[in-house]
Amino acid sequence: MKMSKKSKIVIYILLGLVAIYFLAPFIYMLFSAFKTEGEAIAYPPKLLPSEWHFENFINAWKSQPFGTYLWNSILVTVLTTVGQVLSCSLVAYGFARFNFKGKNILFMILLSTMMIPWDVTMIPQYMEFNLFGWINTLKPLIVPAWFGSAYYVFLMRQFLMGIPKDFEEAARIDGANQFQIYWKIFMPIMKPSLILVGVLNMLTVWNDYLGPLIFLQDRSKYTLALGLASFKGVHSTQIIPMLCITIIMIIPPIIIFIIAQKYIVEGTSGSIK
Amino acid sequence: MKRKIAVMCVLALTGTMMLTACGNKKDSNDGKTSDGKTAIRFATWDVADDVDAQQKLVDKFNEEHDDIEVTLEAYGSDFDTKISAGMGSGDTPDVMYMWNYPAYADGLEPLDEYIDKEGDDYKNDFYSTLWNYNSLDGTTYGIPVGFTTHSLFYNKDLFAQAGVEEPTDDWTWSDLQAAAKTIEEKTGQKGFAFQMKPDPYDFEMYLWSNGTAYCDEDGQMAGQIDSKESQEVFKMFQDMEKDGYAIATEKNGTDEFRAGTAAMYVYGSWSIASLNEDGMNYGVAKIPSFDGKTSVSILSSSGLSISKDSKNKDAAWEFVKYWTGEECNKARIGMELPVLNSVVESEGIMDEPEYAPFYEMLEQSDGHTPASFLIEDWSEISENLSLSFEQIFNPSSYMDVKDVLKEAADAQ
Amino acid sequence: MKQRKFLKTATPYLFIMPWIIGFLVFTIGPLILSLIMSFFDWPLTTAPTFRGLGNYIDMFTKDKQFWKSLIISLKYAAIFVPLNMIIALFLAMLITQPVKGVKVFRTIFYIPAVISGVAVSIIWGWILNGDYGVLNYLLSLLGIKGPKWLVDPAWALLAVIIASAFGVGTMMLIFYTDIKNIPVDVYEAASIDGAGPARKFFSITLPIITPTILFNLITSIISSFQQVTLVMLLTGGGPLKSTYFYGLFTYNNAFKHHKLGYASANAWVMFIIILLLTAVVFKSSSAWVFYETEAKNSGAKKTKKKKGGRK
Repeated sequence: MKMSKKSKIVIYILLGLVAIYFLAPFIYMLFSAFKTEGEAIAYPPKLLPSEWHFENFINAWKSQPFGTYLWNSILVTVLTTVGQVLSCSLVAYGFARFNFKGKNILFMILLSTMMIPWDVTMIPQYMEFNLFGWINTLKPLIVPAWFGSAYYVFLMRQFLMGIPKDFEEAARIDGANQFQIYWKIFMPIMKPSLILVGVLNMLTVWNDYLGPLIFLQDRSKYTLALGLASFKGVHSTQIIPMLCITIIMIIPPIIIFIIAQKYIVEGTSGSIK
Repeated sequence: MKRKIAVMCVLALTGTMMLTACGNKKDSNDGKTSDGKTAIRFATWDVADDVDAQQKLVDKFNEEHDDIEVTLEAYGSDFDTKISAGMGSGDTPDVMYMWNYPAYADGLEPLDEYIDKEGDDYKNDFYSTLWNYNSLDGTTYGIPVGFTTHSLFYNKDLFAQAGVEEPTDDWTWSDLQAAAKTIEEKTGQKGFAFQMKPDPYDFEMYLWSNGTAYCDEDGQMAGQIDSKESQEVFKMFQDMEKDGYAIATEKNGTDEFRAGTAAMYVYGSWSIASLNEDGMNYGVAKIPSFDGKTSVSILSSSGLSISKDSKNKDAAWEFVKYWTGEECNKARIGMELPVLNSVVESEGIMDEPEYAPFYEMLEQSDGHTPASFLIEDWSEISENLSLSFEQIFNPSSYMDVKDVLKEAADAQ
Repeated sequence: MKQRKFLKTATPYLFIMPWIIGFLVFTIGPLILSLIMSFFDWPLTTAPTFRGLGNYIDMFTKDKQFWKSLIISLKYAAIFVPLNMIIALFLAMLITQPVKGVKVFRTIFYIPAVISGVAVSIIWGWILNGDYGVLNYLLSLLGIKGPKWLVDPAWALLAVIIASAFGVGTMMLIFYTDIKNIPVDVYEAASIDGAGPARKFFSITLPIITPTILFNLITSIISSFQQVTLVMLLTGGGPLKSTYFYGLFTYNNAFKHHKLGYASANAWVMFIIILLLTAVVFKSSSAWVFYETEAKNSGAKKTKKKKGGRK
């Protein structure tokens, strides 16, 4: 597609303005992380630290067993993501590409599971996991993800319903069964939305702290997000270490996003017609 | 082919991770660890550095006891959510920090029998006021671990800059107002900071200091919270703010004080550590009094409680004793004000100028019971009061003190 | 032959089986228990006692805060949902433009969505502080006296909306993925016809992405009603309870006031409201959402109707 110079300039200005809005608070946070706490809350505010305290990051990392937390976070994030992608694509395929008895009612039930706030189902859920003996393990955070979450099923269903009906008919004539069609034909063309679900899930799980807070107990099981939250006390918050860990925690999702970008676009070649 | 290998790799990786994640066994439910020790779960609300220090103390206890294994669980500001969830599902930590006894007492083990067994000397070493704050209706539910009263923090540099004499222990509120006014005029910084949305639990101390309270002994608010004395207190704070030399802060005021934008504020000992870290030139004095009356402080106390559902109460008590004993009190200096007379004496705490006022406030604050112990459904009443106070102090409303307090009393 | 037929009817169910199992094992129990609990008085520290419809009656007749919070949340949803979707779609269009360096901008736009909520709220607290905040400081350099964002009830809801718009990256990414996967030849055909960018957007892009618009609409309605974390950390429901969202109301009833039965009743009322809204959206969606899979179906239906005569 070709573009006139004028419209290019307009686009750059728009991109720049939005970038400022999004980046300004982040940059302020980034620079604050290098300040002393006294300087960070000083008034009038200064953007740059008068002295760069790089050791803030090291001190923050050492203040809690963050190495252990990191490993737990990776475990939970990777395992839930694989589980979500597999289970949600299956379930979404079922809802999007078939007509069957009770489909609408089941789909409505699926959606409605998103509508009850977690506050009130949490305690019953805790009791259930306690019955399973799963409390203070990572299982309550991982296992349910292998059975499809409503949010991602819904998302993927929407994508799948955008694919024309005659698409699988050609394959069926070839004698392939439904699972073969799903795995061999749909999985490849669903790649962008699979990646999308993966990225979104990774991010949610990586930052989730309510789940870990409720289901985990001793510190050897904590995740990064929970360690981060525990800088916040009842009467005082350790702001600087908190900012440092927040910044460290941003890095992995950003790297993954940068890599994933490529694959999200790649889908275009899978000529959907 | 390449894809197949990739899929295989992912599956293999997932499998291994699954094993690591789900393989490690839980320290089963019956309160025993895998090697047969009695397992005690211990929940704290402290954060980062303090937790590290606590972990060391826990480790020491575990070393000294072959048969008990304590694990520390740190929940920070989400402590209440976690404990509530634990109690709701019958899986509460065996030992936990506690302050809000009215809300949790039903889930806690009464400790009087345990205390009696230890003898009078054990009980008497604690500052006596603290026991009131760790019991409900005459039953003790917690052993004091730490406390703080409130005192007046002031910025010595701003006082010097304005040429105002520093606060003394016999200051009245009019002295404070005069000083604050001068500081505002001379330095351009606010003379005094207080919270726009104070926790009603804390704020009651000013009513006590002026000879009234939120409610009477039966928890009735009418005639108390809307009394003349009570109105005076609220009016005084509102006027200071309206006159422009005091500021009602969005948070607790520590940020403003640290930034040097407010010369004085009243707060607990929580901020001492960060003020020292800043290298700030500050002083601490007793809270000013209302003319001719004794100023009184609220007590924020922390105690250690045992869960009613605990399966190993004796081991839990063993740990509570350790945690509230001399050794740990000493080790916690700097994080927590010691609660034992013997430790305060032996460590010379009263000679430390930033700590002493908190003990002096403690000594003159005996004999008051916070409304939270008297009013049923305090947590909801408190939420309503908090709104009432904000209506008075928020500059975008500045509602009439008398009306607001009357309405608050009627709403009960 | 019979076996084959069975397999054919069973196939769809096999596909959705993971969700059905998960629902039966992990979800339905807690859901039903919370519904049951809404008929009980449950102070958490002691056993629950049955009180019939008492919680619901109290909520509708006695608790003024219930109505206030409901209205605040409705207001928030009414502003936030369309605003957020327009911004997300706008940004998604922006980052699909074939200009140099767009990849970098794409990442920048996504960064805010990645930052964990606790730190975000602290930063916004610094920025929006009325007396000593960065934003008002910058405004004062321009000679403008900024409002007390988090103190003045007239501004607080806006402040929350500004802060929550920060997390628009997720929705942007969903739109982006969808737009990026529209086959290029569809546009090329239109270009030959001489359609301008605006026409292309409204007559090609928008119709094709209606399924994801529906998704974002429904999920953001749900999440705006459940908004808790941000207001809890940023405003605490204030000033003067002007941001005391329904989600916060429920949360505080459960964990601050220890009225879990009442909180469950709050939650189920909210459930009904969201369910009704969703149902309305879904009903309307047949008019504005275009699914490729249904293109044929609806055609088939029409012919069927004709055959069947009037009904």
